[in-house]
Amino acid sequence: MIEVDGLTKRYGSTVAVQDLSFTVQAGRVTGFLGPNGAGKSTTMRVILGLVHPTSGTTSVLGSPYRELERPEKRVGALLETFDAHPGRSGRNHLRVLALAGGIARSRVDEVLALVELSQAGRRRVKGYSLGMRQRLGLAAALLGDPEVLVLDEPANGLDPQGIRWLRDFLRSLAAEGRTILVSSHVLAEVAQTVDDVVIIHRGKLVQQAAMADVEAMAARATTARSPDAARLVALLVAEGIDATLVEGDRITIHAPTERVGEVAAANGVVLHELSAERASLEEVFLELTGDPGERGG
Amino acid sequence: MMRLYAAELLKLKTLRGTWGFAIVALGLAALFTAGGIGGVSEEARFESRYQFRLILDMAFATGILSLLLGIVLFTNEFRHGTIARTLLACPRRWRLVATKLVVGATTGIALEAVALATTLGIAVIWLNALDVPLEHGDLADGAGRAFVGVILAGVLGAALGGAVHSQVGALVGALVWMFVVEPLCWVLLGLLDWDGVADYLPAASLGGVIDTADEGLPFAGSVGMTLAWVALLTVLALVRTGRRDVT
Repeated sequence: MIEVDGLTKRYGSTVAVQDLSFTVQAGRVTGFLGPNGAGKSTTMRVILGLVHPTSGTTSVLGSPYRELERPEKRVGALLETFDAHPGRSGRNHLRVLALAGGIARSRVDEVLALVELSQAGRRRVKGYSLGMRQRLGLAAALLGDPEVLVLDEPANGLDPQGIRWLRDFLRSLAAEGRTILVSSHVLAEVAQTVDDVVIIHRGKLVQQAAMADVEAMAARATTARSPDAARLVALLVAEGIDATLVEGDRITIHAPTERVGEVAAANGVVLHELSAERASLEEVFLELTGDPGERGG
Repeated sequence: MMRLYAAELLKLKTLRGTWGFAIVALGLAALFTAGGIGGVSEEARFESRYQFRLILDMAFATGILSLLLGIVLFTNEFRHGTIARTLLACPRRWRLVATKLVVGATTGIALEAVALATTLGIAVIWLNALDVPLEHGDLADGAGRAFVGVILAGVLGAALGGAVHSQVGALVGALVWMFVVEPLCWVLLGLLDWDGVADYLPAASLGGVIDTADEGLPFAGSVGMTLAWVALLTVLALVRTGRRDVT
């Protein structure tokens, strides 16, 4: 479990994170979402003990990261900035980490195979592509077979196949009861992966919810078409439902499709169409996190 | 701490630059030894403490290399952004600083071992060929001092790297200090009749450990003063590294 309580981080006069609190539950994949510059990376680095908070606390598995014994075996992390020496081979980079973390050397080849870097393991990192570097970062995060994973924009640089692999992999890790916090600035990218979301904007919490609840926010209205549209409108209004005849046989109704269908069936009204209008997840995300005027860049 | 120490050594072993330092140490030792034997008169080779000076002349060059490698082994973390991953494995930062200092000493031992083996190898063969008897006491005395000086240089470099973090800043700063700023200080202090104060400056202190001129601080005083500079830089390294946000 990861806990963030009242976290504030200032760099001079710039407030990166302000009074942020949230919890990441074990056995679930939690998406940490927000536009670029929202404070996601800063928060993750505070959680990992790399950045000092101005105020507030963070804990991983019940303790501040800095107080964890053998943290490499308990928490795996992928940071947005690349953290391997370019002159060292990928395999040697992992050997160093394994040695520092007290992790068996055999695990190095295991994780290299897991991220499909066995062939490139002996090459120097400076020759790696962006995707290969990302995979090496994931290998480093997985090296200690940790209970908790903190992954900052892990899909960056991965091809569609790699993103699908990552998605399935994270789901399988969560199914084993691990705690996973994964950041992204694209909600749609993680929508199929995460159970919960923590959405921040300008360093402040906007929403912490189950992904299902965020998807429910995307439901806008129900559209129905009926040869008896005027009667259906009257019946719905009588039920206290906001319904409007838009044109011809088309009605816009502010109620779930199930409810509209029930009213129509109970009164023998024929329906030619009954569909839910939905906003895209990206639209929901932008509504939660942005001012319309800011969305140009 | 032992795991971290072993990992730090593996870091160095898996970089070509480290081996470059060892090769340069070997080359400089060969050059200094060749110059020290072939470039002096026959009489000079029989002078008192000649073989002691032969070893320490080599140690001067190795000491500078050790200082630079000490700087590099710490500042590489910041130059290449590997500090984040290092601190994830070792979140208690004082441990990292302490380990880097020990690694600085270790690289000093390794460089001096390479340089000393080279010097002794050349000196034994060449001096025998010239019928100059080996002064085992002088050689052992010189080797002991050389090891102490080069080890201290490595630790001083690591502490300086931990205090400065910028690789270019630390390397250029160290060289400018040693060869420009401190010599200027010696001159200025001399003009003020405070020559003795110059002996306590960092380069003079470290130089005093491997100095053969019998000027300035005695060997023990030079070691003590160098350790004081190491302590000061270590405190700075602990504060700077401890407080730094790794973004």
